[in-house]
Amino acid sequence: MLDDFNFRIIFEYMPLFLTGLRNTFFISIVSIMLALMTGTIACACRISSIKLLRYPAIAYIEIIRSTPLLVQIYFLYFGLPTLGVRVPEIQTGIIALMLNSGAYIAEIIRAGITSVDDGQIEAGVSSGLNYFQRMRFIILPQALGATVPPLLGQSIVLVKDSALLSLISVMELTRCGQTMTSERFMPSEAFLTVAFFYMCIYFCLKSLADWSQKKLIFREAY
Amino acid sequence: MIEFKHVNKWFGKLHVLNDVNLDIDPGEVLVICGPSGSGKSTLIRCINRLENIQEGEIIVDGVPVHDKKTNLTKLRADIGFVFQQFHLYPHMTVLQNVMLAPVNVKKMSSAAAEKISKEKLTQVGLTDKAGAYPAQLSGGQQQRVAIARGLAMSPKIMLFDEPTSALDPEMIGEVLDVMVNLVSEGMTMCVVTHEMGFAKKVADRVLFMDFGKIIETGRPDEFFDNPQTLRAADFISKILTH
Repeated sequence: MLDDFNFRIIFEYMPLFLTGLRNTFFISIVSIMLALMTGTIACACRISSIKLLRYPAIAYIEIIRSTPLLVQIYFLYFGLPTLGVRVPEIQTGIIALMLNSGAYIAEIIRAGITSVDDGQIEAGVSSGLNYFQRMRFIILPQALGATVPPLLGQSIVLVKDSALLSLISVMELTRCGQTMTSERFMPSEAFLTVAFFYMCIYFCLKSLADWSQKKLIFREAY
Repeated sequence: MIEFKHVNKWFGKLHVLNDVNLDIDPGEVLVICGPSGSGKSTLIRCINRLENIQEGEIIVDGVPVHDKKTNLTKLRADIGFVFQQFHLYPHMTVLQNVMLAPVNVKKMSSAAAEKISKEKLTQVGLTDKAGAYPAQLSGGQQQRVAIARGLAMSPKIMLFDEPTSALDPEMIGEVLDVMVNLVSEGMTMCVVTHEMGFAKKVADRVLFMDFGKIIETGRPDEFFDNPQTLRAADFISKILTH
């Protein structure tokens, strides 16, 4: 099989792939940052006792989690212009990824917060600490520790999900593979290269996740 | 010091506190016992308003606890609470656990808070564990840290909710010793416990509860040796034979 493999063509298309890699990287980083912000705000609203904040947050989280990302992307891509909002593809893609991951991140953070034992919160209450002090000194330090590994997991998912943006012609990695395939008809070479670059990103994020987990376990034991 | 006036509380349909009237003097040591679900934990949790009440009034040191205008932070700062499950903060060292409230609630300087925290740790016999994390301590040691955490706020009252029930038998003694030591300092204490030895040794009064009602109160020796009600007698025989 490898006899038929044309490695030369891969190098010929390397500049295109590197552009794709750069775009995937850029889209992922920006989306993760925005999704973290969205998720934190959505989570704060979700656990709020004010119904006017809580119910919209529940609606947002449930709608996103119950529909496919591709549908969400198409909805924004085709839907927004009919509403009179014209956004370039790459921004549309970032918004879609941000909204999608934001909902999952909101639930991850919420799980972290609820994982902190109620008894500790009562201990804080009974020694006179107010809500913000309990959040700052008791809940968040433990919740954040518990959420770092799943958040990095969600980041890995987001990087791979960004491949769907190729369907709205954003020039990211997968789109580069499609471009090369349609120009030269060499899908094996094209998508092997694409897969290789995704794996590179994946292993970077995974080693970050492993490292942070080790650090957390170490801190809990000691 | 603590006064219950016709206190009623319901959890849904369950009547957990049924017309409770109680007067606890400064320096008094009150032991509360009774079968599980009798409302004894709820009773002491109402004192620092971990639970709300529906009817009646609780007055602590002249302050109506369940009044909307009451400054709860100040009230709670004066009442130490020790839980059955210790509830130490696992991500902080022993010293940080004890110092947290003095620094953030009483706004003490960290040097002053550290000084009083170390004093209290010495009082519970854990001077050398200041830098340890809760997970490195035995149950008895954790509970003693929890007591030191309460004491570091220089409270007027200490409440104990079954402080030895989650401990291995050989660790109960060390926790009770610390509590006996507190009694000799004249602390006002309410202790939910079935430790008869402790009650006989230091309690001024034993209070027996069942179905949310105070069934019987009396001096510990009278209560344990000669209970006035059938239910109390039945309960005592059960904790004795078991």
